[in-house]
Amino acid sequence: MNGLLALPALLLMALVFGWPMLRYSWLSMHASSVLTGLEPVSNQGANWIRLLEDARFWQDAVQTLRFAALSVGLEIVLALAMALLLDQRWRGRGVVRALSLLPWALPTTMMALGWRWIFNTPYGPLEQMAQSAGLSPLNLLSNPDWTWLATVMADVWKTTPFITLLLLAGLQTIPDDLYSAFRLEGGKTRQALTAITLPLLTPYILIGILFRTAQAAGVFDLIQVLTGGGPAGSTESIAQYAYLNAMRFLDFGYSATVMLAGFVLLSLVIFTAAVLLQISGLLRPLKS
Amino acid sequence: MPLMRRLLLMLMGLLLAGSIGWSSVHRPEQVTILMPAPFVDATADQVKRFNAENNGRIALNVIRGPRDTESISDLAISSLLLGTPPFDALLVDVTWLPKYVAADWLQPLDPWFDSDDIESLVAGAQLGNSVDGALYRWPFGADVGLLYWRKDLMPEPPQTAEELIQIAQNLRAEGRVKEGFVWQGRQYEGLSCNFVEFLSAFGGTWLDPETGQPTFDSEAARLTAHWMQQLITQGTSPLAVSNYSEPETLQAFKSGDAALMRNWPYAWAELQSESSAVKGRVGVSTMVAQPGASPAATLGSWGFSLLRGSPHQQATAEAIRALTSPDAQRDRFLRQGYTPTHAALFHDPELLEASPVLPQLEEALSIAEPRPITPLYAQMSDLLQRQLSGLLTEKRDPDQAMDQLQGATLTLLRSAGGVS
Repeated sequence: MNGLLALPALLLMALVFGWPMLRYSWLSMHASSVLTGLEPVSNQGANWIRLLEDARFWQDAVQTLRFAALSVGLEIVLALAMALLLDQRWRGRGVVRALSLLPWALPTTMMALGWRWIFNTPYGPLEQMAQSAGLSPLNLLSNPDWTWLATVMADVWKTTPFITLLLLAGLQTIPDDLYSAFRLEGGKTRQALTAITLPLLTPYILIGILFRTAQAAGVFDLIQVLTGGGPAGSTESIAQYAYLNAMRFLDFGYSATVMLAGFVLLSLVIFTAAVLLQISGLLRPLKS
Repeated sequence: MPLMRRLLLMLMGLLLAGSIGWSSVHRPEQVTILMPAPFVDATADQVKRFNAENNGRIALNVIRGPRDTESISDLAISSLLLGTPPFDALLVDVTWLPKYVAADWLQPLDPWFDSDDIESLVAGAQLGNSVDGALYRWPFGADVGLLYWRKDLMPEPPQTAEELIQIAQNLRAEGRVKEGFVWQGRQYEGLSCNFVEFLSAFGGTWLDPETGQPTFDSEAARLTAHWMQQLITQGTSPLAVSNYSEPETLQAFKSGDAALMRNWPYAWAELQSESSAVKGRVGVSTMVAQPGASPAATLGSWGFSLLRGSPHQQATAEAIRALTSPDAQRDRFLRQGYTPTHAALFHDPELLEASPVLPQLEEALSIAEPRPITPLYAQMSDLLQRQLSGLLTEKRDPDQAMDQLQGATLTLLRSAGGVS
């Protein structure tokens, strides 16, 4: 009976998730480009062989993963600090709470364009500050080794409020009684953070990590607008590469392969993380 | 049911059927064209006039697309892939045409535009409209790369690649200007456009015109790569140009921080506006070229293409002709500064009075250079952009970069069956 009740949800999943996956798998085994008149022609796995040898795909994979890891990591730390602050009672808290959501409310392309001017050499404010401090031009968007950090910075600015909101909601589910009891038993306020707050907040942190990792691994608009994948292709993400193949090169077979390979890679990363979490026992509060 | 009521119903039915029949006979033929937003504004009056002149016969509607070139390409391709796009024609960029033709999306315009029409166009506007001998695009405006120079800083624009570096360096050494030469070095299509002009300055071409093979292993390509890197390492251009597209370039030049700028014709009007720090001190020329090599101006420009499945081909062709008529072009040039395509307009006294740089535009159009005309252009350009961006930002060895580019382009063409 329980299984039957889940049927609508399963059907919906099959429709919006299962079918596209099947379609992509099928397409990844075919050549479908302008050269085949956009008709799929079976090519015996040539797309996958090409992918394995495609240094650009692997470079993009590394870039996507390091972007996701660093931005989500920074966002969790910053969001935790902000959530703890916004959970306290102080004058003007309501205004600050509302204001802190603003970056998240902005459309990504708009804010990416804004950051492009912030990083601009020589007119951006960052360069102006460096200049008045007597430094040589930073050229933050012209350095293949460091530009990816600029994309992380913009992403952190934009999505920290989202996790803050999530964690703030989590903080409000922790009953005040627990803290009172803790103090009665002689616990120090500082210890309450590690003894009560963090353990009870863990499920929310994990949900935040999950949401944001999935989003960051599919990053497209931010990087497309901020750097266009440059300089020297150093900030290109998997999603961008798949997009280029489909929409610019009209090579749908290879685009499907890139997208699918990205999905497999991300699944592997998340699976490994889940296993590690299981072993470490961090998930326990979720089950109780 | 009482008789009266039944009769009344029948009468109403008849009236309804009659009115539908009547309106379908007199309903004008609906023609829809997709354009990027700025062109929608630029053509608004002409669309209104066309609809008034064809009242009851043709109704032209314009779909307002996104502003950005890449975004409108995505929009167009998405709807073309779905099979029945809600438009009969669209404005296409010059580099998309071979790809769209290969995808079998376009209908030749030959029945409506003949060789006399083509010959009435200025030289540069005649290029990039045909694929395999069939006309698939009718140009909306002419667009080529130009070299803008500061009249207050130099008596004449530089003629050769070395002269450009020398003039810029001297001016910087004397402290008369902050930056020498600004251009588009960001990893995007603009970088390819700049490269075509730089390469031509050293006597090279992207593909060999005879064999269609890439020529990045040529002496000209090596010299170009070295020169581009030099521009940055020697300080003629700031490292920041490696992330400049058109707006950043224009900003640097407009604020008086640069002596020379590579940009498109649209920049002229901006530089003459009240907010410009260099108003009245700007000259227009074409890109430099080494002795013995001929300068080139990369061909940009949009044009109208007719969709294969359109049920309103005749009416659409009429609309295209009206929107590109000499009168329409004169209008757009005087009001918005869009460069005309009609050759005679370049000698029109009224237009010459409105813009002193019209002769320079005509000259640049006479040396217009299209980017390679192949359905694989987007891939080829992408390879080029990545290598050049590495050359500018990583100080990659220029010879090695050109060798890698040659290899990668050959691999691409071979795997696609373009080169044996």
